[in-house]
Formats: sequence, structure tokens, C-alpha cells
Amino acid sequence: MDRHALTRRSLVGAGLGGAVMAGTAPGALAQTSPAPGAPPKPGTLTTAPSSQMGLSPRLTMHAIDNFHGTPGAGMVCDLSIREGDTYRLIKTVTTAPTGRTAEPLLVDDAFKAGRYELLMHFEAYFRALDVKLPSPNFLGLVPVRFVIRDVGQRHHLPILFSPWGYSYYRGS
Amino acid sequence: MAGISTHVLDTDRGRPAAGVKIELSVREGDTWRMVKTMITNADGRTDGPVVAAADARVGEYQLEFHTDAYFKGLPDAGGEEPFVDNAVVRFSIFDVKQHYHVPLLCTPGSCTTYRGS
Repeated sequence: MDRHALTRRSLVGAGLGGAVMAGTAPGALAQTSPAPGAPPKPGTLTTAPSSQMGLSPRLTMHAIDNFHGTPGAGMVCDLSIREGDTYRLIKTVTTAPTGRTAEPLLVDDAFKAGRYELLMHFEAYFRALDVKLPSPNFLGLVPVRFVIRDVGQRHHLPILFSPWGYSYYRGS
Repeated sequence: MAGISTHVLDTDRGRPAAGVKIELSVREGDTWRMVKTMITNADGRTDGPVVAAADARVGEYQLEFHTDAYFKGLPDAGGEEPFVDNAVVRFSIFDVKQHYHVPLLCTPGSCTTYRGS
């Protein structure tokens, strides 16, 4: 598992994390050489915390993998807004090597009050890392539901997760 | 013991969350079928099992916790609107011989769930 995790991290560092999430077989990953300039050691965190203080109102997220102790990179998330009794998909994003998204989930005119769901693809995330899981896994597609009422405020949504549980909260 | 059980804890106040409505649904194809509604007792648990051992099947289950109404209805509610919408926890029974204890730790601004015991 460590070898695959390292290789994957290297791929993500080279900007190829999306290809891993697209379902590349673990065997193929193991044969891929680490790219030059990739993160040096397994388990080394190369990203520092970042402050969003002073930024304009927006919705941002941060996925944190508490199983590996790393940012949750390559997590596919579907963002939807509630309309009546259903949720309408706004967009699907994949987290960057930092566990954040390259762009805010919602900002400027797109940042509206409402009831939202971020559907996170936990099972696909851990299977891509070659983590041994039951089938079906305990947590597959996880709905993270939250409300934005005041669009004059910045909203940050951290999600801490493992194959067996998760937490989310209004961060800053 | 097998089946499903839950426990709701108000970690804002450090006590069991009593009187929380919980809806149990099961996945049937692309839809969720609501099976039953329960209310947590003074200990934050349901009086009976959420799913009894004999009724447990491999598949996906959903617990919707009406935490929004719970927090707004507390006598000492501050009038602030919760950030967490009604927490919805979806999980699978992958082995009917095992027990699935799925607690919810909640505050108006956060929630946590995990496979407990």
C-alpha cells in the first residue's frame, strides 16, 4: 500500500492525479517512475496551512485524509444545491494535491444562499490508493450537507475522513 | 449482536441529544425508501434497534438526523441558524453477521460520524 501511495503522490505532484482517479489499475501505477521534482519522501507533507483571512465571500473546502495523514488529493466531489425536494448538480470537482480545489467551490455571482450537498466519492478515493476495503465499503458516496445563509461571509468547509468515519464543520 | 444502532450526542452541550427525529431509509435501485422514523430517548439512543439482526441485509442504508429542529428547539437556543443541514449518514452493511453502530456527534456548526462499537 505504501508503495502505491507514494507512486500516486508522485503522480499527483506531477499533475497527473486525475488520471489515477479515472481508474488506472494499481499495477500500472507501480510500474510508473516518480516524476522529476515530485515530492521527495513518502508521508512528507509539503503543503503549509494557508489563511484565507481577508478574502472576499466565497465557499471553499479542504479534504483531509486522516487514514494516511495527508491532504485528501484527487477526491471527486459533486456540489449540488437543494431545489424543492431534490438536489441539482452545480459542478463536479477533484481536489488538488493540497486537498483543496484549484478554484473556490462558489464565488462572486455563483455564491448564493441555499442548502447545499457536497457528495464525496470516498470509496473511489480509497480504492485508488489500494486500501483494502470491504465490498461494498462502509462509506461509499458520502453526502456532506450544509447551509449558507449569509453570502456576505466567507464559508470554509473542512472534511476530515477515513474509510470508517468523517467530520465536517464550518472552518475559517 | 448484529443489525444497526445509533447514538446522538450533543457535543456543544456535552450531553445526549434527546428528542432527535431520525429517519431510516434503504436504497432500492436509484431511490431511497423510507422505512421508519424514530425519536431519540433521554440517553440519545433509540428505544429499539434501528435495524434488528434478523432484518439486516447487505446494502446501503441512510440515517437522516433532524439536528436542525433539535438545536432550534432547545430552551437555551441562541437564535443562530445551524451551518450543518440535517445530517445525512449513508453507509453499507457488507456482512450481516456484524453489528453496525453509527453514532452522530453534533453541534450547530459541525458533525462527526464513524463506525462505533
